[in-house]
Amino acid sequence: MAQLSLRKVIKAYQEHQVVRGIDLEVADKEFVVLVGPSGCGKSTTLRMIAGLEHISGGQIAIDERVVNDLGPGERDIAMVFQNYALYPHMSVAENIAFCLQQKKMPKEQIAQRIATAAQTLHISDLLERRPGQLSGGQRQRVAMGRAIVRNPKVFLFDEPLSNLDAKLRVQMRTEIKRLHQALPTTTVYVTHDQIEAMTMADRVVVMNKGRIEQVGPPQELYHRPVSLFVAGFIGSPAMNLLPARVAFGADAISLVLADGTALALPPAMRSPALTEGRQVIVGIRPETISQPVGRQNAAPILVNVDIVEPLGVETLLYFNIGEIVVCARVIPEAAPPSRQQMALSIDMEKIHIFDPQTEQAIRPDVRF
Amino acid sequence: MADLSLNAPLNRQSRRQLIGTMAFYIVATIIAVLFLLPMIWSVANSFKPPAEALANPLALFSKAFSLDNYRRLEGVGAGWYVYVGNSLMIAAGTVLLTVLIAVPAGYGFSKFRFPGQIVLFVLIMATMMIPFQSILTPLFLILKALRLQNSLVGLVLIYTTFQLPFSIFMMRNAFDAVPKALIEAARIDGASQWTILRRIMIPIAFPGVATVALFAFLNSWNEFLAALIFLSDQNKFTLPIMLVNVSSGIYGIIDWGALQAGVTVTMIPCLILFLLLQRYYVRGMTAGAVK
Repeated sequence: MAQLSLRKVIKAYQEHQVVRGIDLEVADKEFVVLVGPSGCGKSTTLRMIAGLEHISGGQIAIDERVVNDLGPGERDIAMVFQNYALYPHMSVAENIAFCLQQKKMPKEQIAQRIATAAQTLHISDLLERRPGQLSGGQRQRVAMGRAIVRNPKVFLFDEPLSNLDAKLRVQMRTEIKRLHQALPTTTVYVTHDQIEAMTMADRVVVMNKGRIEQVGPPQELYHRPVSLFVAGFIGSPAMNLLPARVAFGADAISLVLADGTALALPPAMRSPALTEGRQVIVGIRPETISQPVGRQNAAPILVNVDIVEPLGVETLLYFNIGEIVVCARVIPEAAPPSRQQMALSIDMEKIHIFDPQTEQAIRPDVRF
Repeated sequence: MADLSLNAPLNRQSRRQLIGTMAFYIVATIIAVLFLLPMIWSVANSFKPPAEALANPLALFSKAFSLDNYRRLEGVGAGWYVYVGNSLMIAAGTVLLTVLIAVPAGYGFSKFRFPGQIVLFVLIMATMMIPFQSILTPLFLILKALRLQNSLVGLVLIYTTFQLPFSIFMMRNAFDAVPKALIEAARIDGASQWTILRRIMIPIAFPGVATVALFAFLNSWNEFLAALIFLSDQNKFTLPIMLVNVSSGIYGIIDWGALQAGVTVTMIPCLILFLLLQRYYVRGMTAGAVK
């Protein structure tokens, strides 16, 4: 049982704050992923939880015990590093045993723990090898073995998959998830890869410029981004973000894009904040642009497709609206073979509207 | 036919390879002989009868075999074994003290940040540029004040002092090459600073330690001037001083045989130590060069 709490946590180097007052509660056994671009403060936050960085302000508590002034060894945490940080002069078994030796655990118990961990991670036949004799994936497993062998209260992962090739990364991703299911432990995982975040997390924490932009389950982040940053960061290909102007017609409100295309807004999407002439940014996920199949609330657009990218299960189409390149994700059967003019439609119930100044989402239920 | 036409270029290629390998071995052998010759020459002369060594010091081989030169060494001063003992004690003391100070100092400079760090480091490095001869007088006065003149301990302190700048620099480089993440991992594993240094850092940076130890040994073992000036008691002389005493024989004639016997005795520990530590030494010298 371990709950992790971050309360108004700040990290500052002289005047410059890299983490600006973060509040986060991680429930027992929860898998939380911190994601964001490089320099957003996610790794620093993780290192503060680990005790490797001093906390400039606020409080970090593990199970209600404030750990601000405790050393990394006293916090009962385990960490998997980006470059694995295995001790090169020790065998795999010695690497895994090291932390248990520091706790002065009896030898028989250490041997037993190593055997169990090795079995869980399928590294039993590697125990006598040195890290230099292992492949990237094997090293990754040993690093995880070193972490699980001590039954920590909190697991910390610092971009553990970024050094692996694409195929192995996908494989290790599922393995870490499986490991978490087998040994449910409170976990904080840092990555800059939003796909990793989406696939692994119970909850994703999107960070930007030292602040938390949004916290929520992956689906919520995808379908209800609270800000332009989250909208643009989560999802691949990224959400199309187009400047538009609110226009009032006789009985309808529409969003007029840069090229003059007017998208009629369905009643469910209307908000009092959308006043006549207001500039907004419309967020359209690539999959909400599709072939016109006569759906309700679908706004038709006519585009000149520039690039066609067949991916097998789906095809990506790229075209310009005004100055901006827009991506659409369509079923392969409906995709044109090459550049041509094409009628598509946007599912207007699934678009997102943002304020260009505050960069926050304007929701139908939000009143300004 | 097909076989022949396929084999012909292959043969040419393998012949070229063979010639290359042979050239490499020939050049390597010549260089090895150049380096080994002085040593072989010393050893050969030391086993010649004294008269022959004196008459024909350049000849590598001699008809007669004799241990007279080594017997002559026993008669020099307090006997060669006393000087070997003195030199060993001084070298061991210098190595021990240098390693004990340079390793933690290098670790500190490499992995910790403290105010005045760069200034302090530059200051330590700057002492390397002070010519030893220029501070002989103050050193003599200091040793006298500490009642350490004519003492092996005093000499160990002097050698260690002069060995430290290079050693600290060397150890800092060695520790710089160890990724910081290893220290962090060890801290999370609950290791103390001392455990981290002892069980993680030193084993990984051991080539650096070996290099520092080797240099400290060789420099203190071979040092002549300080030993000559600060030691006045014949029983406390070191091997290099003994060699001078041996070589200056009657009427200023150099006793080649005895000198070469002394040289042989002197170089054996250096050779053994170098051979023991050479694989670490080579790695130590290149550590930190490429990241």
